[in-house]
Amino acid sequence: MTGIRDTNIHFHQELEELERKVLSMVDRAEQMVEMAVQAVTSDDMDLAQRVVELDDGIDATYSEVHQDWTSLMARHQPLGSDLRRMAVLIQLNVTFERMGDQCVNIAKIAQFNEGLPRVERICEQIREMGDLVRPMIRTAIEAYVRGDVDEARLLPAMDQPVDRLNANMYKETVAVRDNPQLLEWATKMLMVSRALERVGDQAVDFGEQTAYLTTGERAEFDEYGMARPIDDSQLD
Amino acid sequence: MTNETSTESRLNEMIEEPMTSEQENQAEPETRVVRPPGVIETKNMYVFYGDFMAVADVSLNFGKNEISALIGPSGCGKSTVLRSLNRMNDLVASARTEGEVHYHGENIYAEGVDPVEVRRTIGMVFQKPNPFPKSIFDNIAWGAKINGFRGNKSETEGLVQEALEGAALWDEVKDKLADSGYSLSGGQQQRLCIARAIATKPDVILMDEPCSALDPIATLRIEELMLELKENYSIIIVTHNMQQAARVSDRTAFFNVKLNDTGMRTGRLVEYSPTDQLFTSPTEKDTEDYITGRFG
Repeated sequence: MTGIRDTNIHFHQELEELERKVLSMVDRAEQMVEMAVQAVTSDDMDLAQRVVELDDGIDATYSEVHQDWTSLMARHQPLGSDLRRMAVLIQLNVTFERMGDQCVNIAKIAQFNEGLPRVERICEQIREMGDLVRPMIRTAIEAYVRGDVDEARLLPAMDQPVDRLNANMYKETVAVRDNPQLLEWATKMLMVSRALERVGDQAVDFGEQTAYLTTGERAEFDEYGMARPIDDSQLD
Repeated sequence: MTNETSTESRLNEMIEEPMTSEQENQAEPETRVVRPPGVIETKNMYVFYGDFMAVADVSLNFGKNEISALIGPSGCGKSTVLRSLNRMNDLVASARTEGEVHYHGENIYAEGVDPVEVRRTIGMVFQKPNPFPKSIFDNIAWGAKINGFRGNKSETEGLVQEALEGAALWDEVKDKLADSGYSLSGGQQQRLCIARAIATKPDVILMDEPCSALDPIATLRIEELMLELKENYSIIIVTHNMQQAARVSDRTAFFNVKLNDTGMRTGRLVEYSPTDQLFTSPTEKDTEDYITGRFG
């Protein structure tokens, strides 16, 4: 025991509860990535429907977090690391809600593509992207929970093969240009690839939030996970 | 003007003077980093009440036309520090200040310095509004007169108007200047006291919890006023309200109570940083614990 007396214990309990809610969203998003990829690559409409339903849960939590967050700010006006945690949580709330939306995009493409002829090589590549993105989300969650900035710094390197596969998808799509039905299917799969690439970027953002929370310095990771201070004048 | 020369030479000293190992080993609040000399600067200031050491080793540099906030738990010595900045503590019989307090480069505790003159140029506003039992007009005019103002009737009227305008009170009282100062609301009384303070043409205003007796709307008006006043004055404020410090101040000094070997509870400066930094990413763990509500 350090002998620290917490005079702000009610706030800290509510803050922990809020944090649990936000993290429950990303847990669910990780699960949805797996389901959405499975749905779109194996034409599984039941799974696609479940992804859409799960996202309703994320959206509900998103609204709840927003309300709880506003109430906590109004009642407690936190400072220091508490303020940073609040700033990070409201940002993550948006990030995770969007992760869910990307999964819904994929699920809807699965519904749209139902029964269309497909190219197995492209399906494999999408599965591979899913297999790369999910561990990124898991790594980002663990880095956050442990406050481990070094672990968060691994994320940009993990994101690189995702970006490469996404860039390659264009070539795969062009390769089937002579078959209109395949081309229609593949063009939609290009959007699936793009959605997974976005989820990868969102996992990197999550890691950057962990770095801010832990170090107090706002920064973007470069490709090696090194912090590059954010120049506010460059922001839109 | 000698001020500029002394400013320049002191800057040079600060830059050229090599650090001793003793200085390097001291806890380094950010104030030790080279900043231009402020309007008030304390150097290793200690304040005692009799044998009791209330605050120890305070070195702070208060910037010109800035609002500086002093925060910390009860008993940390922040009000003691504030009252030492214009020798208000001289009025407490047992109080004794060691170290130096420089005002525009001159030690206000040096021999031959007139404490009354110090208090004129470094004005003070207290926790509870304390107007004189006189008319609104006389609160300003009389306050200025006892501080040496010798104007004729129209000059006095000009001074009163200027001070009340400066304290954002003129529009509310211009038609009732003969009414008692006590007829005003708490927030108006506090602005009257600010008007009285600025009527003596100070360039620093010390405020000791100026809003703690006021409601939230009156508090916001005083805070707005402080932001306007900093155009022309340097303000140092003691506040228990951290959000107030966060809203109005440019820099914040956090004081904490430390037990020494003999069990004496002495206030010490823990951290002095730009306000944004202190309230979002404080350097010291003590500061973090205090602003998040954790006490060791």
